[in-house]
Amino acid sequence: MSTMELLASGFSVVFNPSMFLMVCMAVVLGTVFGALPGVSATMAVALGLTFTYTMEPIPAIVFLVAIYCSSITGGSITAILFKIPGVPSSAPTTFDGYPMAQRGEAGKALGVALVASAVGGLFSAFAMFLLSQPLTQAALKFGPSDLFAVTFMGLSILTCLDGEHVLTCIISGLLGLLLACIGQDKMYAVQRLTFGSKQLLAGVEMIPVLIGLFAITEVLRQTNKKSFLNAKDGVGGGKVNTKMPSLKEFLAIKWTMLRCSIVGTVVGILPGAGATIASFLCYTMETKVSKHPEKFGTGIIDGVAASEAANNAATGGAMVPLLSLGIPGGNAAAVMMSALVLKGVQLGPLLLVNQPEYLSATFASMIVTNIIMVVVAIAIAKVFAQILSIPYSYLGPIIVLLALIGAYANQMSIADVQIMVIAGVLGVVVKACHLNSAAIVLGLVLGSMCEANFSRAYLMSKANIATMFFRPIAGPIMIFCIIMLFAPVVMPMIKKCKAKKADK
Amino acid sequence: MFELIVNILLFIFLGFTFFTHVLEAPVPVKVQKNPYALQPDVWPKAIIILLLICLAINIVQIIRRNRGKQDFTFSAFAKSIPVFLKSKMFLGMLILAGASFVLETLGFMLTAILVLFFYGLLLGEKNILRLLIASVLITLLLYIIFSGFLSVNLPRGTVGFLRNFALSLESLIGGIKGIF
Repeated sequence: MSTMELLASGFSVVFNPSMFLMVCMAVVLGTVFGALPGVSATMAVALGLTFTYTMEPIPAIVFLVAIYCSSITGGSITAILFKIPGVPSSAPTTFDGYPMAQRGEAGKALGVALVASAVGGLFSAFAMFLLSQPLTQAALKFGPSDLFAVTFMGLSILTCLDGEHVLTCIISGLLGLLLACIGQDKMYAVQRLTFGSKQLLAGVEMIPVLIGLFAITEVLRQTNKKSFLNAKDGVGGGKVNTKMPSLKEFLAIKWTMLRCSIVGTVVGILPGAGATIASFLCYTMETKVSKHPEKFGTGIIDGVAASEAANNAATGGAMVPLLSLGIPGGNAAAVMMSALVLKGVQLGPLLLVNQPEYLSATFASMIVTNIIMVVVAIAIAKVFAQILSIPYSYLGPIIVLLALIGAYANQMSIADVQIMVIAGVLGVVVKACHLNSAAIVLGLVLGSMCEANFSRAYLMSKANIATMFFRPIAGPIMIFCIIMLFAPVVMPMIKKCKAKKADK
Repeated sequence: MFELIVNILLFIFLGFTFFTHVLEAPVPVKVQKNPYALQPDVWPKAIIILLLICLAINIVQIIRRNRGKQDFTFSAFAKSIPVFLKSKMFLGMLILAGASFVLETLGFMLTAILVLFFYGLLLGEKNILRLLIASVLITLLLYIIFSGFLSVNLPRGTVGFLRNFALSLESLIGGIKGIF
């Protein structure tokens, strides 16, 4: 299929009238979900799953990608107006967005945030389109040991997820890997770790666990909080001025947007390093390269543009390993992956070879979403004060019901709803014990793939682990993984030693 | 203290699992005799061993970090249990657990109304009439969207009149869809 035919097929999916309507709905839902504090982009995608059960796989991914991109953008609305990032990746947006809003420039800050988001999103969509197929072609030459190394790379970022609790991140990841072992072994169909439960024979259902850990846990934690966000807490007493910035102002930040789009896309491609790392990294980078670093944090458009271009660029980046290698680039991508697996889609390098429509439809969805999003987000920002004034006593239970429908509709099973509730309660325990939900999900999603590839590689190398990894692809990847895995553990130790020496 | 207890319980549970539940069915003879095949218990056992090591280190770290702290005692933990049992979070857990158990019997509609109403009360809504009306309207809206337009078969319940009401609502939505 030629590139033009591929593009045409992607846009024909998105511009199908009913699909286009669904994309518009996804943009509105995603922007609102993203803007609501306590609803992360991953939770937005997890709640969006509910709408996709009756869809074919390609429309489902189009819909989920639209929710994902728009939720990241939606997060900037509350970050600017209320100094509360709707999604964690919008945290750096508050540094300059909120001071601008306090000066009465909320409209300008929102305008910059939306345009920078669109630029970042569009850039990463093109990068995804151009990079995914060459990566797939390269991945086709991979043997089982190379595929194991690639999957292991996804797990190697476990230690980077929370620098303050490295050990608990490793424990969480291992717990996720162990959960993935429950049920019948993928190679020889031997029953493991079921404790006699027939429901566990088919393994732990990913979707109820994901919804429970991301949505139910958050609602339960919010239940204990004494106060919730009120529209009047924000600047302007609930009224939003949406006066857009001038063309001259946009041109002044063009290089900032370009730099952050590039860095954001690259960070998004790295497994596990998602939009949050991208936005913080780019904000810091811009303070270093700027001619006026002292103005960052006082309310300048450069800071808003850096953060927003980067976190949206990471969305396209995160789709590259998912589509070309079948490994998620982040939590939201992990949810999308489980949605595709549920629909029987075989993820991995062969996906884009046999069905390149997945790439073109995802690309078309990202392009259309990033354009529609600017208009929708401005409209939503205008009425957002009213949306935010919906008390949490209504919003929380609605999230619970959406989660309940999402878990039930997965297999029309009440047991899945019970698993979701258990996962939600366990999520509270996980938080209380400083364990990491994202690491558990990563282990759960990548576990069976990791084990199956390791098993195959072991068999093919005739049980010789050394020959498994002394290969031109697997070797360097494993070295990279080991560095990634141990750097956050070793680096603080080295720093401590240096500090001790300096003290002496 | 809670963190320590969870870690210790997890350690004991994983130790028990290691010896009793990793393999619950015999491995096929062909696999057993193949010296190059990775036996089905190797991967989970390796994970459990790593987990046990990490948990042991974590337990030591927790004890070291909290040694000497006043609230790091079993009596302080025991005192915190009644506080948790009276907390809104625990009541929220009970509502969710209850909803997951009555969903099949009462069906989606009544369960949803109950969840919206009681969780709303728990979250501090004081206007009971408004909450009740909103609960009914939100439930109907969700049912119409998911059952009617997205063809998700939500549970209708096993109680006769609730099931009949759900069926009549579905046929009404079907009729409206047919007109368009």
